Amino acid sequence: MLEVSDLAVEIQSSEILRGVSFNVGAGELVCLVGRNGAGKTTTLRTIMGYVAPRAGAIRLTGTDLRGKSTLDRARLGIGYSPEDSEVLGELTVAENIELPTWTRRTEKSAHERIELAFQVFPNLRRYATRPGTHLSGGERKMLSIARTLALDAKLLLLDEPFEGLSPAIIPGIRHSVHEIVRLGRTVLIAESELQHVPDYADRIYVMERGEIVFGGSLEQAHCDPTVRRIIGTTV
Amino acid sequence: MLPGLNILISGVFNAAVLFLIAAGLQIVFGVQKIVNLACGSFYALGAYFGITALAWAVKLQLPVATFIPILIASGLLLAVVLGPTVERLLRFVYHRDEHFQLLLTFALVLIFEDVIRIFWGASPLQSNNVYFAFGELPLGRNFTVPNYNLIVIGIALAISLGFGWFLQATRFGKIVRATAENAAMCEALCIDLSKVYVAVFTLGVALGTVGGALVVPAAAASLDMGVELIVDAFAVVIIGGLGSMPGALVGALVVGLVRAAAIWLYPEFEMLAIYVIVIAVLILRPQGLLGKSA
Ligand SMILES: Nc1ncnc2c1ncn2[C@@H]1O[C@H](COP(=O)(O)OP(=O)(O)OP(=O)(O)O)[C@@H](O)[C@H]1O
Ligand SMILES: [Mg+2]
Repeated sequence: MLEVSDLAVEIQSSEILRGVSFNVGAGELVCLVGRNGAGKTTTLRTIMGYVAPRAGAIRLTGTDLRGKSTLDRARLGIGYSPEDSEVLGELTVAENIELPTWTRRTEKSAHERIELAFQVFPNLRRYATRPGTHLSGGERKMLSIARTLALDAKLLLLDEPFEGLSPAIIPGIRHSVHEIVRLGRTVLIAESELQHVPDYADRIYVMERGEIVFGGSLEQAHCDPTVRRIIGTTV
Repeated sequence: MLPGLNILISGVFNAAVLFLIAAGLQIVFGVQKIVNLACGSFYALGAYFGITALAWAVKLQLPVATFIPILIASGLLLAVVLGPTVERLLRFVYHRDEHFQLLLTFALVLIFEDVIRIFWGASPLQSNNVYFAFGELPLGRNFTVPNYNLIVIGIALAISLGFGWFLQATRFGKIVRATAENAAMCEALCIDLSKVYVAVFTLGVALGTVGGALVVPAAAASLDMGVELIVDAFAVVIIGGLGSMPGALVGALVVGLVRAAAIWLYPEFEMLAIYVIVIAVLILRPQGLLGKSA
């Protein structure tokens, strides 16, 4: 589904990503794990077209994304839930979810897409008429992911969906993400803590200072000395 | 009581027109983050275009009742041509420093001034008869109010209500508000920003050209009216708060009424009074009366 190869990114002439390569297969859940400042957000933003890479290629089901705008990428079916959720405060919760059905037509009806979003995040239904500004951090995360479902994205980029949430909320969101994967969607998650990586992850990549230093299963990661050194497994 | 009422009516008339232009300025600033000095030119072009349209209407002996629809239509027609063209040009400075935006839009002001000079000449143009053709409303012994002023106030009110409804209740209005809030996120939600920008800019231009067209039966069209209006519109925006629609309304009322009061009571203070208020707002409440604090 997504092939990232040899990606290099420079921001203000400092090298942020170097030779980043990884794959996400159709229907897979893949996690990009790394400490703060490792380059996870930059990787997702580059995939989304906000940042232009200096070198390397990004392919979505074989299509080279080079030169494509963020809008083009969204139209191709990449959904993005940013680190700070970026819920639209001008709109209500329901409008935040409806908006991508106004702007992108897919084979699914708007109604179907909106229902799916609410079905995966049933809590949001109660807040439907609330303004986007009146939500807790967890609700904002949920809404931000729900929007990618309403967009009918086939590839979801989720930046730290469990970050800064109380331990009581995390299982709920983890469950919803699992449901999204079971719907057949492809998911790429950026995560700073190994213990937050869902155990149903197909593969994880560990990033350190803009480079991928490990790729493999979660179990392999727990045993890998490099990963231990970098992330310090607490499990 | 009579001077008071007079000040009120002419002040609200000024405010009504000012509000239209300031609302255009605000929405373009809100969505495109551009401070568009050329709003003054759109107002001036709207006025000259309106005069020409009126001259045609008079020549064809159309009834008075058609004048206002003709003025509005001429403003809209102008906006549909100017909006997308000028927006295309402004695209070069969207992500650049404000200096570039101000320089480019001020260059447009100068260019449009010359365009007006070429087509309509340098001396002011007037269409007095049209103003009086609308008649007057007697409000008491020896006191009348020009109907035209009341009609324009009514139209401005209708436009601002319609505008508010459009932004609050329609899908496109919601898309516009969302884009103003967070354009980058909106692009990832499949909003075509370039389409939103063209539409919003054309809407902003239309508020200016229609405002200019509506003022023309009541006042002369002159070369410097554009620049004069820029000063007023910025006073409105500073007083009310940059980016705030209710702020534009309050600012327009303040500027319109203060100006009318100064003309009546002490004409030398007309501009000074407004600057004093602007300076007071900048010192005491820099975000404007209804602006969000930065
Ligand atoms: N716009 C920018 N300008 C300058 N440096 C940047 C910019 N964006 C990111 N960086 C730098 O790039 C590096 C990677 O940042 P990035 O946000 O991708 O990390 P991250 O892995 O997402 O970290 P976190 O876990 O804190 O979210 C950091 O050193 C950061 O300081
Ligand atoms: Mg990050």
